[in-house]
Amino acid sequence: MGVTMFKNRYIIPVLFLLFVIWSIIGTGFSIRDLIAGVPNLSNFIGCMFPPAWDTFVPLISPAIETIQMAFLGTVFAVVLSVPVALLAANNITPSKPVKLLARGVIAFTRTVPDIVFALIFVSAVGLGPVPGILALAIHSVGMLGKLYAEAIEEVDPGPVEAVEAVGAGKLQAVYYAVIPQVTPSFVASTLYRFDINVRSSIVLGLVGAGGIGFELIMAMRLFRYHEMLTILIIIFIVVMLSEWASNSIRAHVIGEEVLK
Amino acid sequence: MLTVNHLRKRLPNGKLLLRDINFSVGEGEFVAILGLSGTGKTILLRCINRLTTPDGGEIVLTDNGNPLNITQSDAGEIRELRRRIGMIFQSFNLVKRRSVIENVLIGKLGRIGMVRSLMCRFADDDIEMAHRALNRVGISDLADRRAGTLSGGEQQRVAIARSIMQDPCLLLADEPVANLDPTTAEVVMEHLRSISVGNGISTLAVLHQPELARRYATRVLGVRDGVIVYDGDARLSDDDFEVIYGCNDV
Ligand SMILES: Nc1ncnc2c1ncn2[C@@H]1O[C@H](COP(=O)(O)OP(=O)(O)O)[C@@H](O)[C@H]1O
Ligand SMILES: [Mg+2]
Repeated sequence: MGVTMFKNRYIIPVLFLLFVIWSIIGTGFSIRDLIAGVPNLSNFIGCMFPPAWDTFVPLISPAIETIQMAFLGTVFAVVLSVPVALLAANNITPSKPVKLLARGVIAFTRTVPDIVFALIFVSAVGLGPVPGILALAIHSVGMLGKLYAEAIEEVDPGPVEAVEAVGAGKLQAVYYAVIPQVTPSFVASTLYRFDINVRSSIVLGLVGAGGIGFELIMAMRLFRYHEMLTILIIIFIVVMLSEWASNSIRAHVIGEEVLK
Repeated sequence: MLTVNHLRKRLPNGKLLLRDINFSVGEGEFVAILGLSGTGKTILLRCINRLTTPDGGEIVLTDNGNPLNITQSDAGEIRELRRRIGMIFQSFNLVKRRSVIENVLIGKLGRIGMVRSLMCRFADDDIEMAHRALNRVGISDLADRRAGTLSGGEQQRVAIARSIMQDPCLLLADEPVANLDPTTAEVVMEHLRSISVGNGISTLAVLHQPELARRYATRVLGVRDGVIVYDGDARLSDDDFEVIYGCNDV
């Protein structure tokens, strides 16, 4: 008894420590290298100052492209996720095989990182924002489909049954009794995903999928450090703006909930 | 009007809940179903509009002289059948985030094409009919309120208006006033009686109190141990009460 308690108590911390050590050895992580790198890093940062303000205005249009990518990617993701979520939700799915298929789609799109989708689409359709939009749309199904399906499974079945009891079809029951119940949670999940997609679309630009991220990688490759700093400032502004926008939409929607 | 013969229903766990249910309901009758909690009264009602599939027996609904065998219906026929049967639930089952008038219009969905109903277009006639239905249950001033903001009694009246929209020949009510205070319950029961009498709608209502049955029903069915143990006058004698609710183990 005493021995098992000892085991239970220490087994997790010990395993955790072993895992940390194993990973440090595996990756060759060393504090010494880190400290040795500090002068290089400060040198690099020093090279970026001051920002190249003359490039600020020309960079606004790629920044807008990044937001447009994130926005369109999210819109397409919603269009794809709603039907997938309905097919994946226990209480709405027409049959078990369909449910498993829909859940498979959700698991697959979530597991494969958006940057992998972006690399595939860049090879397929070429450089530019289109592969980025496709990658965001498809990868977002993994998260939105899951969150939507969970919201659908939590609806009060009473009203759905009441709509079916008047002789309405399944689609009508979904439209009139399920959708109204899940709207607030759908809006919240979608805005959250939009915030993520704004940041993701910057990263996708690094692999050629357009927007401000593409400008960043180009500036880096051409050693234009002052321009890089301008781009970082613009990225900061873009992310802040998009989070502010989605927060105010969220507050507006939730405020409406409370009022009515 | 409605005839139920040898109805059987088994629970998923294998227990035979309804063993042999036989009764019929005539044109315009208001029949109360009484019985202990858990005897299968709700399931009995749900067999009649096929929210549940019975395991055996026969249910026949005769509307305008056309007999319709409920037990043998396929999916299309089940929808056709449900259009003619209104249902009132204990928990009202309104779509709380929609307006009252939209909830009433839901009663028309069974008769509207899929495409048109998905585009949210109700005919002017239907909208007018919905307002009349609300007027009928005395809440025409609440048409534009969000259903979730109404009191329980008001919500149940919206549910009644939703059923009126179906122009049903049969109304099923499952403990329609069990969640309401006594005064509000009176109002709702009065409305149920009034549409039953006024529109000649046969009503089959599970009630949680024999007292309500005595006041509003024309007849009482007592369910116990999977069969109908009482079928008769709504005024129960002490012996009748014992047959339906009594503890006969001692
Ligand atoms: N979907 C279901 N699965 C399993 N058991 C159920 C289901 N629905 C009802 N029951 C059981 O059937 C019995 C009768 O239920 P119900 O018809 O609701 O009784 P009543 O309305 O007379 O109180 C209860 O014991 C209940 O637990
Ligand atoms: Mg019940």
